[in-house]
Amino acid sequence: MVMTALETATTSTPDKPPVIEVRGLTKMFKRFIALDNVSLSIPHASVGLLGANGAGKTTLIRTLLGLSKPNSGSATVVGFDTQTQGTSVREHVGYMPEADALPMSTTAADFVGHMAEMSGLPARQARQRAADVLYQVGLSEERYRLIKGFSTGMRQRVKLAQSIVHDPDLVLLDEPTAGMDPQGRDDMLELVERIYRNLGIAVVFSSHILEDIERVCDYVVILDEGKLVTAQSLRQMETVRGQIIVRVDGDAGVFADELRRQGVEVRTDDVELGRDEMIVDDDDDRVYDLIRDLAVHQDVPLRSLRSRSRTLEDIYLNNVGAAREASDVSR
Amino acid sequence: MSADNPTTPPAGRYGEVFDRGYAHYTGDRLGRKQAFRSLVGYSMKRALGIRKSWTAKILPFLLYTAAVVPLVIMIGVSALVPDAGFASYSDYLAAIFLIVGIFVATAAPEMLCVDRRERTLPLYFSRAIARFDYVIAKIVAMTLLTMTLSMVPSIILWFGRQLVSDSPWQAMRDNIGDLWRVVFVGALIALVLGTGGLMISSFTDRKGVAVTVIVIGFVIVTGMANVGLELLEEYDWSRYLILFSIQDTFVAISDHLFRDAADWGAVQQADLSLPLYLGYVLALVVIGILVLRWRYSPRDES
Repeated sequence: MVMTALETATTSTPDKPPVIEVRGLTKMFKRFIALDNVSLSIPHASVGLLGANGAGKTTLIRTLLGLSKPNSGSATVVGFDTQTQGTSVREHVGYMPEADALPMSTTAADFVGHMAEMSGLPARQARQRAADVLYQVGLSEERYRLIKGFSTGMRQRVKLAQSIVHDPDLVLLDEPTAGMDPQGRDDMLELVERIYRNLGIAVVFSSHILEDIERVCDYVVILDEGKLVTAQSLRQMETVRGQIIVRVDGDAGVFADELRRQGVEVRTDDVELGRDEMIVDDDDDRVYDLIRDLAVHQDVPLRSLRSRSRTLEDIYLNNVGAAREASDVSR
Repeated sequence: MSADNPTTPPAGRYGEVFDRGYAHYTGDRLGRKQAFRSLVGYSMKRALGIRKSWTAKILPFLLYTAAVVPLVIMIGVSALVPDAGFASYSDYLAAIFLIVGIFVATAAPEMLCVDRRERTLPLYFSRAIARFDYVIAKIVAMTLLTMTLSMVPSIILWFGRQLVSDSPWQAMRDNIGDLWRVVFVGALIALVLGTGGLMISSFTDRKGVAVTVIVIGFVIVTGMANVGLELLEEYDWSRYLILFSIQDTFVAISDHLFRDAADWGAVQQADLSLPLYLGYVLALVVIGILVLRWRYSPRDES
């Protein structure tokens, strides 16, 4: 447990307006298309920005901060246009970059205080906020030590502290767990989770680690090769049809054919399956009843019925796969 | 932030638990101006080694000592021995020019190279400033800091001159014009050298490289200009070579303002007009700002 006191609870606020709205955003680096006509709306939530390395996550974050000018399209962040009101955007948004970005020969308190002033806070309040926020991220005792003496995890926490020191409406975290050991990663995820749940600051959490997103986020945006694959709530995704793994005695193929005749989608060619197993792509009660009745009717002993809930990994692979297929077809 | 603060602690209780829950900030947000001020102040402190290890403070301390101590001795000697006299403003300027140059060569890389090397630029550019604000804040910080060496000692010299006269108050009133000239020249030197030092530093993230290029560049260009002036004396155009020697250029400006650099052969040989010198150094400043702006344009993201 890293934080000792984060008690002012401000939880999910579904009635708040979207924190980010992107319309037809395209960003090219010479001939490489980093973002390809991306349009999306991100709610006030803990949002995972998911994609493989090079998918366009960092480019999207930098464009949203007004650090990178798009070739076409527009975006508003916390109500400000990124192209015409970049300074206002950055005044109300926190950013934690992926790379090391800390001055080594400065104390954590000095640097975080300076960053608060850089966001417009008066000097005295900036120092006070720096002390408070460093306490919140678990660096109260170490705040007067030089950053060069800090471990990777402590440095990540300093980066996190500077991103929230000015009490932003939204914080953009670019791969905050990169390069951390399991314990440090766990601590960082806990901190990130609390930023939204306890502090009420909307979070966009960029990562290529599905597990991290699954743990921390309520909403996910998936990018692949610069294109938006999907943007929706994780809860909504989880209610999408799950799967049932059916195991029968005897010929699974005959049983599968009969299920198909009843209008159920069945797969028997999955590499994970044994010879007597099949996957039914639906897990509502009606299908369970159908399988039971068919087994009785055909006198086929049912060995097992297992519900396989869809993980974010399944969702990611299915969506990215479908998007790539669609892209290949259109070419 | 709220605190659990009971009025009557139970018997035997020797400690209290305070709730340091997160509090949202509701105070003033001063925006871009505050960010700019903060960047100027922070850059100056870092260049002077303030809140850094003691080793970072050694060089600035030595340079300030080297600039001020001879001056204090000179004033002391003049007070005790009235005939000893003072160095002229131009001679003093020439004498401390190297100190100012070394100061710029060490402070300018500290202001820019460190931000590039430690990759703090994305953090700065994600705050309430524009990229050009960053450039201008660094120039302001560098100029203000350099003025402490290029202007303050000369102001002390001016006061010293007046204080050792028979009627200090009257002397001050009579020579107030010199004070403004001292301020003008000191500020100009700081602006030109500061911008030049930053411009060179913007091309590398290694402090050592920047320091070396500034020092060697200064020595080589000044030396070549002086040799050129000497060897090509018979050609009329050779007098413009003085513009390559930044030290002689400022001595010449000082001479135009104070008429006290008769011993400087190069300055007398060149005999260029004050507007030309001023136009030239201001052009250097503009070039420096444009180069810095280009170096910190969006394509230069790290």
